[in-house]
Amino acid sequence: MPSLESEIEGIIETFTNNLKQRKFKGSRDLALNSVQLWKKIIGQMKWQNARELMDTIKKIGKDLAETAPSETVIGNMTRRMLKIVRDEYAMLQKGKQEESDLQDSLQKILTADESDSDYTKNIPLLKPAIMEHIGEFLAELESSEIDISAQALEHIHANEIIMTIGYSKTVSAFLKSAAKNRVFQVIVAECAPFFHGHQLAADLAEARISTTLIPDSAIFAMMARVNKVIIGTHSVMANGGLKAVCGTHTLALAAKHYSVPFVVCAPMFKLCPEYVCSLDQDGFNQFVSPEEVLNNDEGKLVSKVNVYNPIFDYVPPELVTLFISNTGGNAPSYIYRLLSELYHPLDVQL
Amino acid sequence: MENTRNVLDFFQKIVKEEPDVSAAVAAIRTLMNILENFGDGETLRGLSEELRKATEEMKKAECSITSVQSGCELFQRFITLTSLEQSNFKDCKEIMKKRGEIFLRKLQEARPKIARLGAPFILDGHKILTHSKSRVVLQTLVEAAVVSKKRFHVFITESHPDLSGVAMRDELLKHNIGSTLILDSAMGYVMESVDLVLVGAEGVVESGGIINKIGTYTMALCAKEMHKPFYVLAESFKFVRLYPLNQRDLPQELKFSSTIIESNHSNLLDQHPQVDYTPPGYLTLLFTDLGILTPSAVSDELIKLYL
Repeated sequence: MPSLESEIEGIIETFTNNLKQRKFKGSRDLALNSVQLWKKIIGQMKWQNARELMDTIKKIGKDLAETAPSETVIGNMTRRMLKIVRDEYAMLQKGKQEESDLQDSLQKILTADESDSDYTKNIPLLKPAIMEHIGEFLAELESSEIDISAQALEHIHANEIIMTIGYSKTVSAFLKSAAKNRVFQVIVAECAPFFHGHQLAADLAEARISTTLIPDSAIFAMMARVNKVIIGTHSVMANGGLKAVCGTHTLALAAKHYSVPFVVCAPMFKLCPEYVCSLDQDGFNQFVSPEEVLNNDEGKLVSKVNVYNPIFDYVPPELVTLFISNTGGNAPSYIYRLLSELYHPLDVQL
Repeated sequence: MENTRNVLDFFQKIVKEEPDVSAAVAAIRTLMNILENFGDGETLRGLSEELRKATEEMKKAECSITSVQSGCELFQRFITLTSLEQSNFKDCKEIMKKRGEIFLRKLQEARPKIARLGAPFILDGHKILTHSKSRVVLQTLVEAAVVSKKRFHVFITESHPDLSGVAMRDELLKHNIGSTLILDSAMGYVMESVDLVLVGAEGVVESGGIINKIGTYTMALCAKEMHKPFYVLAESFKFVRLYPLNQRDLPQELKFSSTIIESNHSNLLDQHPQVDYTPPGYLTLLFTDLGILTPSAVSDELIKLYL
């Protein structure tokens, strides 16, 4: 393996510092930045063949993921890079598009003659091909929000009442896009203790959408009159479950109770091939300072009670009606298929 | 006639002498044996006929008929797919032999692969409920306990009428995994205290549901009611081309052993079925050597293979 030149180490360090200081605004920003980082690394690094490149990507990717374990996007982007390398290698070597379906299948078990490529051939054209592919991927990332909001009119109809929770850029863009042609109302749950819902409510009101802000405790009471729930999410797990802002499970259960469709806007880069569920809170959740829940000023109380402030909620797939990604709408049971197209099965475990 | 007797003996010998081998793999090995001893001068049609007869013969054995059926179907498909590529029977047979070896080796890799996929789902302090005896469930539990060093407790139903749960408990004891044997009727009683349910399967049908030892459906119903995850561990050679709509719709030959069917032609109502069908809606995930699948992914796999 080639030693990483100091320049590359420098860029990685800047990235991890930004990551630690939470300088990235939202997961799309993070995805874009990490792909740009990969583009620089792959472009500047010296590598002989695809195998070597993939080993290095895996190694760096693992370090990056460990810097921020709860940011699944970083791992996803690393896997996407590996997939791009694999695809381009296969295409250049065999001179044809590798079958889109790389997952093991029954068919493959039956018809395989052993011929697994080991990615060690030196192909001079590989680098420009990979760079071009990454460029296309960046363009796809950049337009993902627009692609999702372009579908808004299919889902939001005139005079509907939509409920959402917290703040999501994707949802904000989605609702605003629908508001250009339709009149509807939005109810925003404020999402305590961070109150990101306030920001969304202000955003929507500015776009002249009739908006109502409610406390989280009123979610169930208000659900009876809601036509549709539309939310964003932090990531989509491999079984179709969500890792979303704390309070989303409450919202999903209330929607289920009243049989209200529960729609999730999630661009493709949020699809994560890992199966983590609420059984494993340690691996899944992130707990932050309880200051927002119980202020340090209340010194007497603080010493007497335990305060937890988890960021995420796990929402099981059976509560989700539909995912809207930049490529269209999908049912939760179909997520496995999208995942097999996005990532190579060997890369799932970084 | 002499020949068909041999088939059954060969098959039963594997099942009896190698308890670690699944009935489906034993069936495939039997068919491979027929393929190897088949004359070069014969035709593909003759081979197919021979394999069909052998399949019928093996279904008379006392073992999981569903697994035998899935294994044989897969092998037939393997023959068809290979024969499409070659017109000369002799060449074709050579390729089949070569691929057959790879194919069998892959089947043997299936169980450890599933164990690796499934073990991370078992966490420290978990209470796990399982039903009857399944080799792949056993291997997954052992992987979690021995390799991943997890501490957990297993509840096993006795699983009448063959008390296979008792055999499962003995196996777990050998590996020092804490276990409790419970009555079949105590399923509902323990359900509130378990974290997840782990079962094997004799066959996975096209809908994504499973056919397994009688009582599995009851367990799945209880688990659903109590909102416990219900995980199925099954190798992909157990995928079978059936689409049962309910219990009555399951073929008789899968539900009853061949001796029972022969001796009670008219009145099977008095007999106990050996398997039941669990619809896909009750399964959380299926762990297979093709990866972790949702029930709907199973039909995708079967369609890809047989279309």
